[in-house]
Amino acid sequence: MGIHLLYIEDDAEIGTWVNEDLKSRGYEVTWLQSGERAVEKAAGCRLVILDVMLPGLDGFTVGQRLKKAYPDLPILMLSARTSIDDKLEGLQFADDYVTKPFHPDELAARIEVLLRRSGSFSSEPLTLKHLHVYERENRIVNNDTGEEILLTGKQFQIFTYLLRHLGQILTKEQIYEGVWGDPYLDGDKTLMVHIRYLREKVERDPANPEIIETVRGVGYRVKA
Amino acid sequence: MRKKKLPQSRFRGSLLSRYLLIIVIALLFIPVVFPASLIGYQVVQSMVVDNMFPEPEAKNDPYTTMHLEKMWHQEAKRLKGNTPEMIDARIGELQASYSKVDMFWVDAKSRVRQPGTGKLKLPQTWEAADAVAYMKRYREATQQFSVIAFIGDDQKLNQGFMVMQVSRSELRTGGYEMSARTSMIFFGIILFMFLLFIAVSWMFFVNMRRRLLRLQSAMTVQDGRGLPDPILIRKTDEIGQLEHAFNGMVDRLGGSLKREREEAELRKRLIANLSHDLRTPLTVIRSHVYSLQKEQLSDKGRQLLKLTETKLGDLSGLIDNLLSYNLLTSGKYTLEPERCDVLRIVRESAAAWYPLWEKEGFEADIDLPEEPLFWIIDPQWFRRILDNLFQNAVRHARSGQYIGLHARALPSGQTAILVSDKGKGMAASSGDKGAGIGLAIVGFLAREMGLVMDVNSTTQGTNILIYQAAGTEPGLKLANKA
Repeated sequence: MGIHLLYIEDDAEIGTWVNEDLKSRGYEVTWLQSGERAVEKAAGCRLVILDVMLPGLDGFTVGQRLKKAYPDLPILMLSARTSIDDKLEGLQFADDYVTKPFHPDELAARIEVLLRRSGSFSSEPLTLKHLHVYERENRIVNNDTGEEILLTGKQFQIFTYLLRHLGQILTKEQIYEGVWGDPYLDGDKTLMVHIRYLREKVERDPANPEIIETVRGVGYRVKA
Repeated sequence: MRKKKLPQSRFRGSLLSRYLLIIVIALLFIPVVFPASLIGYQVVQSMVVDNMFPEPEAKNDPYTTMHLEKMWHQEAKRLKGNTPEMIDARIGELQASYSKVDMFWVDAKSRVRQPGTGKLKLPQTWEAADAVAYMKRYREATQQFSVIAFIGDDQKLNQGFMVMQVSRSELRTGGYEMSARTSMIFFGIILFMFLLFIAVSWMFFVNMRRRLLRLQSAMTVQDGRGLPDPILIRKTDEIGQLEHAFNGMVDRLGGSLKREREEAELRKRLIANLSHDLRTPLTVIRSHVYSLQKEQLSDKGRQLLKLTETKLGDLSGLIDNLLSYNLLTSGKYTLEPERCDVLRIVRESAAAWYPLWEKEGFEADIDLPEEPLFWIIDPQWFRRILDNLFQNAVRHARSGQYIGLHARALPSGQTAILVSDKGKGMAASSGDKGAGIGLAIVGFLAREMGLVMDVNSTTQGTNILIYQAAGTEPGLKLANKA
């Protein structure tokens, strides 16, 4: 049983193609050609892919209704409109945004990130170099030694935050605000200290980190 | 070229006619008003002024010609039938009371009698020749006023005659001659008329000037649409007609402005619809290209598909930019500036672009200071600028394989953000003309946020400095050194 997605798209050609592509990637897809029954069909779905231009109810209205009914359900907007045009209007409820024409790999990557962010982890362990991460069980196992790595609360939160944005580079402000929930204060070294300790625990060689990569001048990244 | 005929205006009520009226009145003033006022004054003077304010000297001063003449003839009448001794006595009395007057008389026997002081050189007897001599000496040769009266005021009585004479310098002017007061009043009237003329002319021109200024200010003041307001027309003269023509012009301008806006609106809608309609088939084409790549293909075929995909990406970017520019310039997005740390935005934007740079083999040289740099900008718009710059670098500076993000201190003490690449420069444009609209968007956004973007593009690469326009003109500054 794959993850269930709701896909709302009126264009038959694009719809068929995306539907097939997503199915080939192991997702279970419910494809609707209008937004009329979106709310009832969304039950049990883990993510909604929503086109903006729809006959009848437009994508924004459908999106707002969905968000009202399922506040935690991530919504990915697909649009033929320009990015700034929709970003302002659409992103108020949408969790992410892809403009047409999009690359199927890009769409798949965004879906994965969104699912991860919303906590819909698969039961399969995530393998990062020498680590096996069991996200559901909050367990990290070092494959080299077969031992479990025990992290402090904050270290674990930082690590999960990075994992939820797998492959994405996060600035220190983003990580701090995502984990602590407070606005980042300039010159705050707390995060760097935490990351240093975190690396000492998870990296083979903390001096040359492979898991938590430093992107010079920008931030940190955990690559898949 | 034929001379353009001026529009004919009605003469009545025109400025010309009103000014002519003032001039005509001014001209009439000299031959008509001047004497009329003179006569009028005399009438008023004799009827009103003299009765009400009689000249105080008139009664008391004996030295007026009228008084002397009247007195002399009355005295002569009264002396009718008197003896020469009595006449002597009376004249002596008179001489005493009119000391400045010289008096003598000639009796029936032509004897000259001078009862008073006797200043005059007179003959003993009065012959015809003496009369002539007297006349010559005193009446004509000297400026003397004299009165001659027959005794009894009747020549036939043959009692002789009496003569008095006085120097004119001793006499008061009076009668028809004007006193100082009279001339003052008369001069005052003339002055008043003159000032009245000046005042009327002045008011005429002041009024004209005020209306012209009102018209001028109406032409410069603008309402919300960038057009002057129509003027309320009060008169139908030349300025009134000018105002009327001005209102007509404002009307026509408003009409054409409205039409122009409607056309621009239509054009923008058309572009918006067009780019939307272009995108859907583009997505379909892309999906097929993607599916095709999974089929069994020769190397050549795979290469061509890769190229097709790249061009599809460029095309979609172009459409996106076109639509963005359209939307931005139509003022659909209001700028919402806030104080934010630009370096943070730059870092976040770079984080989003980093994977692509990596994929394209770019060296990302990012060195931004830890201390925040606060600018008053709209973060959404600023991200859009960075997106465009980074996209341009990926598309047009691929050959350099480098993207740099640095902070630079300007001579003015400001901190600027430097975005650099090592491509072949904008002039080379890597065979792709798509950069134009992207830069137009960037320029527009920067200008709206009061930022300067100093673009310095050479064949060695492109350096773009972004800083706050402190006293300088915001917007895009291109310095292409191809």
